[in-house]
Amino acid sequence: MPAEDVPVPKDPADALAAVVALRRLADQLEDAAVEQAMRAGWSWPDVAEALGVTRQAVHKKHAKRLIAAGVVLRRRQ
Amino acid sequence: MSRIDHYINDIIIRGGAEAQEEGSATTEAHHLLLAIAAIEGTAAHRVLTAEDLGRQTIREALDREFEHSLGAVGVSLASFDLPRPSRDPKALPKLGASGRLAIERAIAACKGKKDMRPAHLLLGVLDTEIGTVPRALALSGVDRIALMARARETLTHESW
Repeated sequence: MPAEDVPVPKDPADALAAVVALRRLADQLEDAAVEQAMRAGWSWPDVAEALGVTRQAVHKKHAKRLIAAGVVLRRRQ
Repeated sequence: MSRIDHYINDIIIRGGAEAQEEGSATTEAHHLLLAIAAIEGTAAHRVLTAEDLGRQTIREALDREFEHSLGAVGVSLASFDLPRPSRDPKALPKLGASGRLAIERAIAACKGKKDMRPAHLLLGVLDTEIGTVPRALALSGVDRIALMARARETLTHESW
């Protein structure tokens, strides 16, 4: 929707709850996107660069669950 | 461990599973509420089910709150067709800030740990006007204050 149509919550409780919900949505989106990239053969450094974080951070956050799911991961370079 | 210790432990484990299912790294108050609704045989469970608040109904209320809160800033969940991410079954979420507050409020609601029962835990989760739980209940037309009154009532005549 055009920027001028985006509502701005007037009640602080709604604005704060929107922050919580957006963080949750971003986390869910990150989990799904990282898995999609790794299944498509992306490397940890490339995923890290795309997310704007260190490769150590992305590896620490996602490696265990992807290994548990049997995703074939490229070796860290 | 006493009976209440076992119960709190069960609630934290079940709440952790709810958090994991949702993709949350922490167990929050609303995950504890889902756990209270899922574990049968307590006055807290009976108070919830008497109001038609089973685990599934609460899950739906929480989902509505999520969509409603995103909608307040113009984000529609329907625009995201997210594939379901894999989870690490061994990674147990830690107790988050709201989960910790709920337990602290439960302790404050009873006379001492010996007196503590599941209904106190329900009171701990419900006793706030701020956050996901009261918002989800209000959006679903649930009277949180009346629910708390019923939970308190059980404490006078139900042992568990």
